[in-house]
Amino acid sequence: MSAPVQVTPEAPMLEAAGVSIQFGGLKALTDFNLTIRQGDLQGLIGPNGAGKSTAFNALTGVYRPTRGDVRVAGQRVNGWMPHRINHLGLARTFQNIRLFRALSVLDNVKVACRAETLSHQEHWLPASLFIAALRGVGGVGGEKGARGGQRLGEQLIEQAGALVLQGWWRSLFLTPGFQAEEQRITERADALLEVMGLSHRRNEEARNLPYGEQRRLEIARALGTQPKVLLLDEPAAGMNTREKADLMVLIRKLRDQFSLGVLVIEHDMKLVMGICERITVLDHGEMIARGAPDEVRNDRKVIEAYLGDSYLESHGGAA
Amino acid sequence: MTTARSATTVPEAGAVVPAGLKGLLPVLLALPVLGLLEWLLRASPFATYLLSVMGVNIILAVSLNIVNGMTGQFSIGHAGFMAVGAYLAGFVSLMLKGVAISFLPEALSDQVFFLLALLVGGLSAALCGFLVGLPSLRLRGDYLAIVTLGFGEIIRVVVQNTDAFGRALGLSGIPQTSGVGMVYFGVFLVVLVARRIAGSSHGRSLWAIREDEVAAEAMGVDTTGYKVRSFVISSFFAGIAGGLFAHFVPIINPGSFTFVKSMEIVVMVVLGGLGSTTGAILAAIFLTLLPEGLRSLFTSLGAEGSLAQKVDQIRMPVYGLLLVALMLSRPQGLFGTKEIWDVLPKWWARRKKGTS
Repeated sequence: MSAPVQVTPEAPMLEAAGVSIQFGGLKALTDFNLTIRQGDLQGLIGPNGAGKSTAFNALTGVYRPTRGDVRVAGQRVNGWMPHRINHLGLARTFQNIRLFRALSVLDNVKVACRAETLSHQEHWLPASLFIAALRGVGGVGGEKGARGGQRLGEQLIEQAGALVLQGWWRSLFLTPGFQAEEQRITERADALLEVMGLSHRRNEEARNLPYGEQRRLEIARALGTQPKVLLLDEPAAGMNTREKADLMVLIRKLRDQFSLGVLVIEHDMKLVMGICERITVLDHGEMIARGAPDEVRNDRKVIEAYLGDSYLESHGGAA
Repeated sequence: MTTARSATTVPEAGAVVPAGLKGLLPVLLALPVLGLLEWLLRASPFATYLLSVMGVNIILAVSLNIVNGMTGQFSIGHAGFMAVGAYLAGFVSLMLKGVAISFLPEALSDQVFFLLALLVGGLSAALCGFLVGLPSLRLRGDYLAIVTLGFGEIIRVVVQNTDAFGRALGLSGIPQTSGVGMVYFGVFLVVLVARRIAGSSHGRSLWAIREDEVAAEAMGVDTTGYKVRSFVISSFFAGIAGGLFAHFVPIINPGSFTFVKSMEIVVMVVLGGLGSTTGAILAAIFLTLLPEGLRSLFTSLGAEGSLAQKVDQIRMPVYGLLLVALMLSRPQGLFGTKEIWDVLPKWWARRKKGTS
């Protein structure tokens, strides 16, 4: 897991180009640009309602961009379902913690540690014959019917293929391969709990964990999907000062250990300024500043919109 | 009952068995038990009938629990899928009535055709499940309930107006080839499948959907796909249950597959605890025996002829009262999302601590 940090300036893992999101007449996000490469640690800040979480939702596929493109690992993913975007290597946590509350801590992570999925892309012969037949049946209703028939057939084959080939039968017959795979998944999940310091909570229900640990469990779960880019939505919210300090160390450590690109939304200026190498500031859905912490901190627009003059007095003077 | 228990406990106890055999061991153990059961009950038609009805109800409850309990969707048209299975399996059996495989003894050849009919019933119900589920499972919550409710009614009305299915009179003369052994083999299979799914990554994905669909999707779970698959598996077993049912009751008619039947299955699942396979089994047993119990109670109280005959009519109010009592005292159902072996030891420990 601890691959050396690669220094090659490779293609960006996550790229947003001119992304806009509009809900009816409301412009939640306008012309949002962002590039995250492996090893990056960036911040996204702004006042409440500035569009930070909307940006996250646009990147992860919860919302479909009204304009602009989102690319993950070089793939254009506009309109994809979130789980497919996740498979490309983009994982997130949620601002209002969304754990699988009734499941055990271990199971929460195991859900994310998916089985190494067997390919069911290559349809076997009866399947293609079946699709052809459905196309023929639909063909009576003209070109549109033929396409509809084919789509239905493909869906059916996909589902049947998933049931038969994607390992459901392996779990029904408890094949040795399946048992070994379950073993591997459990080991991976345990390793992640270890990293996040949650091993002692392994068998407890997720909803019984204290707040800070729930936040850490969300990160462990996100890491279970083996992401290349990790999006953290207010990971420090509700934490005390000590927990926040630990979290700062932890985020850096995760970035290096899992060679991730990380994007953090956070209101705690000390945390953001402390760990992020590059910060984007949003206000009313528009980007008003971007740069290193020091540049952003002294930007007039940022101070007016977000930090406030009092921040300048207490921190700016010292800088 | 015995078989259902053995089916659920054996996978747990299989730790000492070589890995390759672990998967098939429960089946090998179940078959002789079922054979014995069938042999023991050969002379008592009433017990056979009651146990068969109970078995069919268990299959229905456990299979519905895969969708309503494990995946957290709300389907209330299970009787519709049962009807599809019952009518198509019955139809196949009627078509094949005179046919026999020449080199097999007659009883065995009957069972082969019975299995074939069951498979046809199950697969066509699964296909219906797919066609109903694909469009409606993309939506959330209540929509599925409405669509499945509509589906159940459509099936009933279609059957009522199709000559091949005997319209309102129903299908009669279906060979009575089912027995306790076959019914409980179905019970055994559905319990095995439900438990094995629960113990795999697929089961975890279903739970994740139940707990938080948005989060599950973000963690790479194909929520629509998994919902459709769980729905298809559930419908398949509802079809099997229907097929079994058609082969031990003298006549099947649309009246057996109404909305009331669907609600009865939902009550079983809710009573046992949404997500608990053992809970669904116990609730199904209880709710099957309840009318019989009431009937003999009224008879022994001397209310002969009047109340005892009306048990089938007062059944639904009793279910309603049961549900109200349940919601007030134990809203999560008998076992909640847990299984009996998770709940009972703790309960026992608390009880012992309380008395000492």
